[in-house]
Amino acid sequence: MITSSLIPCGQYKTSYAKDTTIFDTPVMRAWAVVGVLALIAAPMVLNNYYLSLLIQIGFMGIAALGLNILVGYTGQISLGHAGFFGFGAFASAWLNNSFGIPVVLAMPLAAVMTTFLGLLFGIPAGRLKGLYLAIATFASQFILEDFFARADWFSGGSSGAAAGPVNLFGYELTGDKGFFYVVLFWVVVMFLIGTNLLRSRDGRAFVAVRDHYLSAEVMGINLTKYRILSFGLSSFYAGLGGALYGHYLGFVSAEGFTILMSIEFLGMIIIGGLGSVAGTLMGTTFMVLLPEVMEGGVGIAKTLIGGDVAWLAEGLAYIKQASIGLAIILFLIFEPDGLVHRWRLIRSYWKFYPFSY
Amino acid sequence: MRNVLLASAAITLGLSTTAQAAEIYVGHLADLTGATASVSKPFSAGVADAMNYINSKGGVGGTKIDFETVDYSYQVPRAMAQYKKWTSEHKLAAIQGWGTGDTEALVSTVAKDEIPYFSASYSGHLTDPQGKTSAKAAPYNFFYGPSYTDGCRGLVDWAMADWKKKGGKDKPKFVHMGDNHPYPNAPKDACGAYAKEKGFEILNPIQYSLKPGDFKAQCLSLKESGANYAYLANTAGSTISLLKSCETVGTKAQFMANIWGMDEAGLKASGEAANGIVWVVGAATWNDDVPGMKLVREISKAADPEGKEERPVHYTRGICSAYYMKEAMDMAATMPGGVTGANIKAAMYKKANWVPAGLEGVCLPSTWKADDHRGSTQVLVYQADVKGDNFTMHKVHSVELPRRPEWLGW
Repeated sequence: MITSSLIPCGQYKTSYAKDTTIFDTPVMRAWAVVGVLALIAAPMVLNNYYLSLLIQIGFMGIAALGLNILVGYTGQISLGHAGFFGFGAFASAWLNNSFGIPVVLAMPLAAVMTTFLGLLFGIPAGRLKGLYLAIATFASQFILEDFFARADWFSGGSSGAAAGPVNLFGYELTGDKGFFYVVLFWVVVMFLIGTNLLRSRDGRAFVAVRDHYLSAEVMGINLTKYRILSFGLSSFYAGLGGALYGHYLGFVSAEGFTILMSIEFLGMIIIGGLGSVAGTLMGTTFMVLLPEVMEGGVGIAKTLIGGDVAWLAEGLAYIKQASIGLAIILFLIFEPDGLVHRWRLIRSYWKFYPFSY
Repeated sequence: MRNVLLASAAITLGLSTTAQAAEIYVGHLADLTGATASVSKPFSAGVADAMNYINSKGGVGGTKIDFETVDYSYQVPRAMAQYKKWTSEHKLAAIQGWGTGDTEALVSTVAKDEIPYFSASYSGHLTDPQGKTSAKAAPYNFFYGPSYTDGCRGLVDWAMADWKKKGGKDKPKFVHMGDNHPYPNAPKDACGAYAKEKGFEILNPIQYSLKPGDFKAQCLSLKESGANYAYLANTAGSTISLLKSCETVGTKAQFMANIWGMDEAGLKASGEAANGIVWVVGAATWNDDVPGMKLVREISKAADPEGKEERPVHYTRGICSAYYMKEAMDMAATMPGGVTGANIKAAMYKKANWVPAGLEGVCLPSTWKADDHRGSTQVLVYQADVKGDNFTMHKVHSVELPRRPEWLGW
């Protein structure tokens, strides 16, 4: 049946359920399932280096999705996402170290703790908009950073905190292979929740607040409630991502969660596509792989030139940083809708080949 | 774009698989772009040049040392990620590390993985291999030189003698200055306790960033506190800014910098603001006339054929760090199992009061024991004389600190 892979031209949807379906066609759903199955099989083929990249994409992607709910769907802004990410990492390590709560439970609990923190720091969002809100969240970033460096009881202060490995049924998951499945589990769960959230009444309320807050209020949406709720939700995602990050590295240090990381999260969702769940994952993948590809590029240049080039090796750190900046600028100019838009264009090109319209 | 991504990913895969043929692999962490870059650059150059030189002379028992220098910008998470990457791709024989934050964060992990970790962090917390007196045992951590705490104690000794010589009557006032960071914090409590024992009054610590900046506010606090002796716990880059700021403010305190707090480049950059500063030096300096400097100059010349570079004190310590590791590897090569982490650790305990061959007079004689990783407790205190653009440095104090058992790991 041709209808299994193509969407008919025109509006044929006869129910709300059909209108809000996640996958437009059965083929798309099948591909998503195949993708997850392929990832489950991935550790058998990939070496640890590639697994570690996938794990990074996983926990960064979860946190970036949280930011996309806040920025892309609700139209708020946050420059403090890294602070919440860090709080989740420290909270999970703290719950595990101080109270002996197993890591598997400590991670979601840490995310809940981060949610409450996000609700607290989201209160200004009830009153502030635009640049003013940006500065308010900027403040939360600095408050949290300083808190991490000083709260010895919670974060171990400037020397950081050890984060134990995941322990499941008495079996310790130390290697990347084991941890990969933990991250994959949470990625699937959190992205499903994220997608479904946006099909719900609350999700539509977020979008309404973003598109026109006055109309939203006229329609009976409690602006303050939904703005703060959006902060809480985004913090839950950030906290869970952070907790996964902490237990993956085995150590959480106060200096890792700077404003630069917050900007990097913003970069991910801008490159991927604001207000798109799939785009979040694409943007994260792009941002995680970009520095690695740059490093590979320098390696290729080395072999081509045939020797160690001092300025190239020394400049690598700058090349990596500059490439991220350049990527954001180029995307803003040439692809403001993000990678997800480009992907849709590519897909439709092949689907209608050779009769594209 | 996608094709480029895929192609370079494929090539990096190719590169990473070919690198696995190595036999003695040493991971080398350096900070070339971060807060401590000004002192890490010469130190890591010393380590890398020494290893290259060792390889040009046949390596360790005929096998060349394969090493990779990685810049981690003084960020603990990046060091942790690099460690994971190394251990997943190679069988590491040893690590030449850098900062206190990352070294202390990896203590338990390297112990579990049995990888000797030669750090450029001389934190006192790394000296207790069995966890007798400190919370955390550090069995696989080694470093060359006096610990930060012992260095600071040596400075306190000098300060007391200086105070008496100048005819000071009351209790002299001592203040710790540094960032809120594992490295400047490492000697804070222990050295304060020692200064108190020696008869100093301890003032509230003053915080200044590891990143160079304008520190006039801190200098004003220093001036108001009436401190006589200020211990500077940061690295040279930020110390230069502090000295400049304090010159403007006009403080009277005597500055005492830790082993990474001052060097030749720092003296040149700070000019007369650094006049009279004392600091800890852990090896021979470039113009010293000692037999071992011949090898140091040869190593330097191999990397810099024109022989124009005047290497700072950190470069020489980098060479010492690499050569202690090399001699331990030489000994390990003759043991059953060869150059493994556990064998290198065992080899480190074989000799007492030893200096690597060829570096006589350069490295301080050191002894590591299975229950005490304080390689050396000898502290050399140097003072700078700066007039205009010219500076000289001369030794003003040398002390061999006692190995008190309760000081282990502190």
